[in-house]
Amino acid sequence: MDGKMKQELLDVFASKLNQSVRMYMDNCARCGACIEACHVYASSPETRYTAVGRAQNLRRLFEKYHKYSGKIAPWLGEAVELDDNWMKKVYETAFTCTGCRRCMTYCPFGIDTQQFQAMAKAMLIAADMEPKVLSMLADVSVAKGENIEATKANFAEACRQLEAEVIQKWQQEAGKETIPLDVKGAHVLYVALAGKHSIIPAAAIMNAAGENWSLSYFEAVNFGAFVGNPVVTKNIAQRIIDEANRLGVREVAICECGTAYRVMRHMTGTHDFKVITFLQLIERYLRDGRIKVNKAVNNGRTTYHDPCQIARNGGVYEAPRYILSRLTDDYVDTNPTKSANWCCGGGGGLVVVGDKDFRMMSAKVKADQVRATGAKVLATGCENCHSQLSDVNEHYQLGMSVEFVSSMAANALVR
Amino acid sequence: MLDKLFYFIMVPMVYVAVAWCVFWIVVKIVKILRAPTTPPTLRIFPDDKGPEDRNTGGLPAALWDTFTMPSVLKYNPLLWVFLVVFHVSLAVLFLAHLDLLPQVNIMSAESADMIGNGAVGALLTASILYFLFRRFRSPLRELSIPADYLLLFLIFLLFLSGDLISWGNSWSESGFGLAKQDFGLYLRNLFAFDLSDPRQVLDHPHYAIVVSHVFLANLFLLVLPFSKIMHVFFAVPMNALRRG
Repeated sequence: MDGKMKQELLDVFASKLNQSVRMYMDNCARCGACIEACHVYASSPETRYTAVGRAQNLRRLFEKYHKYSGKIAPWLGEAVELDDNWMKKVYETAFTCTGCRRCMTYCPFGIDTQQFQAMAKAMLIAADMEPKVLSMLADVSVAKGENIEATKANFAEACRQLEAEVIQKWQQEAGKETIPLDVKGAHVLYVALAGKHSIIPAAAIMNAAGENWSLSYFEAVNFGAFVGNPVVTKNIAQRIIDEANRLGVREVAICECGTAYRVMRHMTGTHDFKVITFLQLIERYLRDGRIKVNKAVNNGRTTYHDPCQIARNGGVYEAPRYILSRLTDDYVDTNPTKSANWCCGGGGGLVVVGDKDFRMMSAKVKADQVRATGAKVLATGCENCHSQLSDVNEHYQLGMSVEFVSSMAANALVR
Repeated sequence: MLDKLFYFIMVPMVYVAVAWCVFWIVVKIVKILRAPTTPPTLRIFPDDKGPEDRNTGGLPAALWDTFTMPSVLKYNPLLWVFLVVFHVSLAVLFLAHLDLLPQVNIMSAESADMIGNGAVGALLTASILYFLFRRFRSPLRELSIPADYLLLFLIFLLFLSGDLISWGNSWSESGFGLAKQDFGLYLRNLFAFDLSDPRQVLDHPHYAIVVSHVFLANLFLLVLPFSKIMHVFFAVPMNALRRG
């Protein structure tokens, strides 16, 4: 690493020292309360896979470059020089952590490891060391947004091709669009993922509820958040905000994607519309009697995996449980559950990065947890979690069926 | 020579240590206040709170989290017991030192005993030894840094030197050579910026132990602003961030 690059990285490091990070840097007592919190450590007890272990990788740089004690007696705080070798540690901080923030529920100070992770990711981007697949996906996502007018016709055509599959689940009333687009004054703007699995069940459910809705032209997933680029994150979120404002919708319903929901709901400020998860919308339809479901469709004991970004970091705990209570008489919670639930091991972009061996290793505790429920159906409300849990199901031979809550609800729709 | 050193430790160094400590604490707080603000929210949601809850308890909840450490109680009850004993004893110890002043009479003015009759120091020393020795066991050993051990060792020595004085006065027939009331006079002089030699009020062969105790306290004050003990000031704001 040459001097210029080193200075650039140190500048990025310094730019990330906001009020919270400064407090987190200085005040960790290394009491070890967080050690048992991390699913990676619980699956493979190496201290580098603890919240405090990951934070120390950056705290040692802070000690070296931002504290007098690090300059006078670097051995005291184990201060380190930033070099190529240490950047490997920075990578570890960023990409052995899913940003699930379970450790925050253990720490007596509530230190947020995700803040360290964001700092590490920013340094990796500056060093051109971030996983290229994430940057590429973020760039593609931004480019698609920039050329939306050119792709609208193709998108509409693709939606038309999905209509038959939506109708299989719910026959829309004559004269009404099956997958409406660009509906000014719609009550709900539904923001989906690129795959049809994210559009078909949602369309069937909203049509069954008689909702005045519109499908967003944009994808919900925010690769900017995964890669740790706040500018791209804002850019990707902003175009959905602009679309919602243009259409004048009352609510933006984010598909089953944890990060997309958290970014839109909790990290973009306040808007003229409400941001909800699609799970909350289904719950409301069921409570209001706008849709009806047949319990006989879903067979076998069912459990639910709380996606970290929707539950612990988003506050949505009861909606999926209510939906599942209407879909099955044999529901069992995981233990631990809700805010204490184990992360699936796929968040923070890890599912996309591709190190499957690490993901499977780190998910051992998750596999043990869901196996202990005796469930046959593992439901979840997040794309990342679904992908990871499907891999975990196969790797650990759990013999479960991994399902989206929305798919289960759509399959059970009755008149 | 030794007399000069003892005088330096007992009078000028005390003022320097206190001024140094206050100055750097203020600098640290100002640095944090002047740093860029945090992201919109860092909160996490307890099981009974939904996204529509405007906050998850705010300051009262942050104070509750800070002073009762429910997460530690849930996941590491033994550590919680020692943390609570340590912090409560520390508060009592602070009062006990205030009680040394002739103007303050929590215990009776004639009493030879500190508040707690030496038990507070015993609890603190036991707690600090627990905090120290648990760091020698894996996995905490791998995560601890030299500053963690040295700070705990410094505090242990500080407590132990204080224990020798209070245990001597409370637990031995002959007592420590210097009484609580003598320390009160010394402290009163310090508060009054009376720079006379403390030997005038602490004239006894055991004086060296008192000097050791004050020296360790000075060291502690010099180190405090650069140590994790700064959590005294930041535990509540950090918990407030988590609570939203």
